[in-house]
Parts: sequence; structure tokens; C-alpha cells
Amino acid sequence: MGYEFDFSAVFTNWQLLLIGLRNSIILGVTCLTLGLSLGLVVGTMRYARAPVLNWPATAFIEVFRNTPVLVQIMWFFFAFPIISPFEIDAFTAASLGLTLNTAAFSAEIFRAGIQSIERGQWEAGKALGMPYLDQLRRIVLPQAIRRMVPAFMNRAVELMKMTSLASVIAYGELMHKAKQISTLEFNPIEMYTSVALIFFVLIYPMALLVQRFELKLKDAVRS
Amino acid sequence: MGYEWDFSVVLRDFDLLALGLLNTLKVTGLALLFGVPLGLLLALLRLYGNFVVRAPVGLVIEFLRSTPPIAQLFWFFFALPILTGIEIDPFRASVLTFSLQSSAFFAEVFRGGIVSIDSGQWEASKALGMNRNETLRRVILPQAVKRMIPAFLERAIELMKTTTLVSTISYADLLYQANSIAQSTYRALEVFSIAAAIYFVVIFCCSMLVRVVEARLAIAGEAAH
Repeated sequence: MGYEFDFSAVFTNWQLLLIGLRNSIILGVTCLTLGLSLGLVVGTMRYARAPVLNWPATAFIEVFRNTPVLVQIMWFFFAFPIISPFEIDAFTAASLGLTLNTAAFSAEIFRAGIQSIERGQWEAGKALGMPYLDQLRRIVLPQAIRRMVPAFMNRAVELMKMTSLASVIAYGELMHKAKQISTLEFNPIEMYTSVALIFFVLIYPMALLVQRFELKLKDAVRS
Repeated sequence: MGYEWDFSVVLRDFDLLALGLLNTLKVTGLALLFGVPLGLLLALLRLYGNFVVRAPVGLVIEFLRSTPPIAQLFWFFFALPILTGIEIDPFRASVLTFSLQSSAFFAEVFRGGIVSIDSGQWEASKALGMNRNETLRRVILPQAVKRMIPAFLERAIELMKTTTLVSTISYADLLYQANSIAQSTYRALEVFSIAAAIYFVVIFCCSMLVRVVEARLAIAGEAAH
């Protein structure tokens, strides 16, 4: 082998990497916030029996769950601008793809969570004279959310990994910066190793937190 | 909007897309072929290996699960050849990456399945004089595998979706072909929409299959009780 590692170029470019990391986190947090909010709406629609609500929600969920997220991002970046009335930059395209993808997956989590709450809870709310949305907001969701938390955290982990795909359409997140630096400095080994480590340090604690929370929830159910 | 759709160019290059789909399936299939047995091996090492083995295996699994697949792919494609001095083409880099990447996820599926088997099964086997390997092979795994089937199929679908990344290192999968057709025909909207539709049809059919299998297994499970 005899390869001599030289990580100095990684450290001299730390500012670029930091900007990349910041952009990754901005993208991840934006898409998580928007995706979960939209997911709640779509999940509730999916739970509804009325076909006007149920049908579009189901179609949306199936389309975004059953196509690769990279295809979604590329579609929003290369194809969508042709029919879109407004300009779409890399950040917008990546956000659209990742948000809608997250929304579709979290909609199913919301639906399953809502479904897991006993029918009697709804009926009790109704008996108290609450309208449907109040039953959902004040009785069902507060109980359901707790069960859904690990699944949502898993989505956050997946989403954080998926943000790296934005590098394909040249959004300046961590992976993209790494690519740039490695071409300039001819240090792919050191650069890609460092970036993998940065991602690991960023994502693994989240994964650990999910595991811890799952265990806690299991204990809570048992007792 | 006044955009005139024109799917004729896409249809003319349909054989390229078909070839791309074939390559997508090829990488997925090979990654499964290597990833599943490797996953079983990793799971067994993590569960039953001695401490010297268990810790590093666990670390490898967690690392592969907690880093973006694109970072892994770039590492194997751009970094590994320099480190080893061995040239690696996009196809091999893809198969290597996705075999390893999926093996980490399969390992967790195996582990979950094995752990879920009641400890009474182990005790019963011990009472019959079986050693650990025999018990695993003849009692535990056959029961565990059945429970794992839905999780497996789901991972396989995830894997197929993730293989779209190979287009970034110029391996001619479906997405890569779509991208190059879009560039040569300036019909990005039609091409990417068709490519997305092809992915949807293939993956949706697989998802439906998973749901059918899940339902069957659930019925079989109920009948057994």
C-alpha cells in the first residue's frame, strides 16, 4: 500500500466544510419541519373516510413512497422548472423533493398512530360535544404522538442522510463541499473519509436516541 | 401554461431506458445476493461472537447505517482505488457499496428476528442435546426467517431505490439514462416523468407483493395459534 495519509488539506478547508455542514442542517431542519406538518395534513386526510380526502392523499403517499428520492429531487430540479411559473434553484428543488418525501412517509406514521387510538376516545370527545377537529387535536393526537415519536426520529435520521443527495444538483451542502475540496486538493481519501466521519458523528447520536426512546416506550407500555 | 408535451423523443429512446432498468435490477440483484448472506454473518458475529469480534462488528454496522450511502459510494469509487492501487469501475464500486450498505441493514433484520424467538426454543433444543450451531440452524433460523420476510422485502425495495445513486458515478442505470436522454433532447420534463413512472410501476408492484406476503404470513401466524 504505502499510501501516505495527509489530512492537512481537510483542516485548512475547515471553513468550507463548516458552511457545508450548516447548509446540510438548514436543509434537513427545513424539510423536517415542513414535511412533518404536511404529513399531519395528508395523514389525517388518509385516515378520513370521504373519498375526496382519502383518494388524493393515498395517491400522493403511494407516489412519493414508491419512487426513489433522488428521482424526485432530479425531477424537481430538471423537469419541474419547465412548467413552473417561478424560478427553482437547487435549494428549492432539494427542499421540494425531500419535504414531499418526508411528508409521504410521516403521513403513514400519523395515520397508523391515529388508528392505534381506540374508537372510544373519539366517541367520548363527541359525547362532550367536540367537533371532529377538536377531537383529533385535543384527544387523539396528544395520545398518539407519544407512540409516534420513535418513528418520527427515524424519519429525521433518514432525512439527514438524504440531504447528501442535494449534492447531485450542486446545492452546497457537506457532500458537495467535500467533492469540491477533493478535486482542488487531490485528496479524495482523506476528504471522503472525513466527511463520512462527520456524517457519522452527526447522525449516530440521533440513531442512539431513537433506540433509547424505543426502549423507554416499550417499558412504559409494559408497566 | 402553454407547454407542449412531446413524448415521441422519449419513446424513440425507450430501449435505452429499458437497458437502464435492466442495469438497475442487476445492481440491486447482485447487492442482495452478497448483502443477505453477509448480513447473516454480521448478525451472528454481533450476537454470538466474543468481545473482540462483537465490538468492531457492531461499529461497522452502525457506521454503515448512520452514514449517507452516497458518501460510501464516493469513498469506494474515488478513495479506495488510490488506497489499494486497484482500478475499480463504476459497476464494481456500486455492487461493492450496496452489498456492504445493505448487509448492515440486513444484519439488523436478522438480529431482530433471532432475538424475537422465545428462549424456550433454545432450552428445548438444549434438552434434546443440540449444540448452539445446530439449534440456530435447525430450530431458531427457520422460525426467525419466516418472521423476517416482510422486513427483508422492504429492505430490498429500499435498496432498489437507493441504487439510483449509481448514476452519480456514471453507471448507466435507469436514472443515468434518463438524465443523458434529457440532456441530448432537451425534453427533461417528459424524460424524467417517464423515468419516475417506470420506477413507480416497478417499486409499487414490489410493495404490493410485500403487502400480500405480509397478509398471508399474518393469517398463517393466526392459524398456528
